[in-house]
Amino acid sequence: MGDFYQTGVITTLHSLGKPSLERLETELRQFSSVRPVALVLPALYSEFEGPAMPKIVEELAKVKYLKEIVLVLDKASEKEFRKAKEFMSPITCDVKIVHNDGKRIGEIYDTLTRNGLDVGQRGKGRSAWLAYGYVIGRGQSDVIALHDCDIVTYSREMLARLCYPIVNPNLDYVFCKGFYSRVTDRLHGRVTRLMMTPLVRSVQQLIGPHRFLLFLDSFRYPLAGEFCMITDMARVNRIPWDWGLEVGSLAEVYRNYSPRRVCQVDIAMTYEHKHQALSAEDPDKGLMKMTIDICKSIFRTLASEGTTFSDGFFKSLAVTYLRNAEDTITKYEADAAINGLVFDRHEEAKAVEAFTRGIGMAAQAFMENPMGTPLIPNWSRVTSAIPGILDMLKKAVDEDNK
Amino acid sequence: MDDFLQLILEPMKEVFSKFKEFTPNILAAMTILLVGILVARIMKAVLLRFLRAIKFDSWSDRMGLTVVMRKGDLWAKPSIAVGSIVFWLLLIVSLLTGLSALKIHAIDNLVALFFLYLPRAFSAVLILVFGYIIAGFIGRAVLIRAVNSGYHYAKLLAEAVRLLLTVLILAMALEQLRVAPGIVVAAFSIIFGGIVLALAVSFGVGGIDAARRMIEKKEEERGEDKKDIEHI
Repeated sequence: MGDFYQTGVITTLHSLGKPSLERLETELRQFSSVRPVALVLPALYSEFEGPAMPKIVEELAKVKYLKEIVLVLDKASEKEFRKAKEFMSPITCDVKIVHNDGKRIGEIYDTLTRNGLDVGQRGKGRSAWLAYGYVIGRGQSDVIALHDCDIVTYSREMLARLCYPIVNPNLDYVFCKGFYSRVTDRLHGRVTRLMMTPLVRSVQQLIGPHRFLLFLDSFRYPLAGEFCMITDMARVNRIPWDWGLEVGSLAEVYRNYSPRRVCQVDIAMTYEHKHQALSAEDPDKGLMKMTIDICKSIFRTLASEGTTFSDGFFKSLAVTYLRNAEDTITKYEADAAINGLVFDRHEEAKAVEAFTRGIGMAAQAFMENPMGTPLIPNWSRVTSAIPGILDMLKKAVDEDNK
Repeated sequence: MDDFLQLILEPMKEVFSKFKEFTPNILAAMTILLVGILVARIMKAVLLRFLRAIKFDSWSDRMGLTVVMRKGDLWAKPSIAVGSIVFWLLLIVSLLTGLSALKIHAIDNLVALFFLYLPRAFSAVLILVFGYIIAGFIGRAVLIRAVNSGYHYAKLLAEAVRLLLTVLILAMALEQLRVAPGIVVAAFSIIFGGIVLALAVSFGVGGIDAARRMIEKKEEERGEDKKDIEHI
């Protein structure tokens, strides 16, 4: 990013000049002796067979400031779990793989369920939550960083920049979100560009200035999956297990901490990962499902802040959003033109139409059941219900990794 | 030739008559064992239903019994574990009852010993289970009290209390099981006595100045009282 503009109520840390990775990593090594760092990696076994994972492992093998890596492996058999362990062996720091489909972890989920703690369906949210529990249970790390395992353009500089604002004790941030541009020969990130930002601004147009909406709008890439936080936050924050994970997590950060202690950092010039299909006709798949879950999460958070929703509001919202999204398409068309990028206006318009339908479906679902958006209970509540759960989780993971 | 045949047939007859005599015993033992297996299975099923109805698993999770199982790398549900223990216990009881039906003297003694030992084993298990719960409860109470009092080593203190109570419970259980009772009592007395002595010595040494100040203050007060009396 070529500017140094500070956006909204949070701090934006830009990539200015030519920041040295060696300097960053040297400082991180010093700081990490005071604030040890755990890296959480939610992964599917299929990602080990893709192009991203070998590069991620190769880069992580060079990182010296991490105390531990907790990889939560989903959709893997016992044999595949062993293979994944072997795959991660070049990394020198302490690596633990949480086998989500294993017998012991299955028993942990059963224990939670029989004590009335709904941890939802499998997915990134639940995996991340379980990894936080393991990190808290071990009590060795003060900072947790998380990124996906499908980043094709991964470099260890991403991780260093993501961790730095939290690990550096002089900066006093508690939460840091990554941002980047998702550009190849065209613009990607449709949900953020064409749904999230126009929607947040449309709601602000209708209900007036709102602190949560201002907070959300401050993020350059609110749906980025890469973030870093203090471990205490993992103890008190609840997270959704569906596609509303990123927005729901931001809502919890907003609820529990001052925006002054929240920042976003430019972590990469370009970022490329797995693309989701739009699935305009199927609300249970792809970007449509993502849209519905994100919208429900936003509506629920606003309702919990005292905003009243009605049918009339949602009708106006659909029209306002459509207008704002169409204006956004025009802006990005110009942006693509000046940068010589491919821009399919028709496809973008189709996406906006699908998102409009998705917002309508989310509104309907919210009106029918305002409490319906799932949130996994925070670890403070879980340990209060089952005092020994962290010991059990630790034992399960340690035994699986023997 | 007849003698020779007699020589062969005689032991065979003897074996056959002994077999005829022993067969009802074997049949009785097998029947007892089969009935025992059936009863054990029924008891296990009934017990499992009962434990599920009273939400035994959740209770175990909250009381910390599940953690103990997990620490021993046992990953079955607590209710299933209890059901299995009862099943195997009943199976062993029926096996021993079946063996006693064989009317073999050596086995009869073994069975009698086993049944005599059973109540002790049962009480030892009860001591361990309830002792563990009470130790956990007291440990947590100490932790809360110490944290609220601003004590810096609250967790260490709570863990120490818990450990001491665990040692006490283990000693009680071993004593109940009559596993080298003399050694257990002696070891326990030495450990506990040593700790109490260490605490007394450290308190005494650490409190020398405080004690001196207290005594001096008392002496001064007494002196002042005497002066007052002389003045009157």
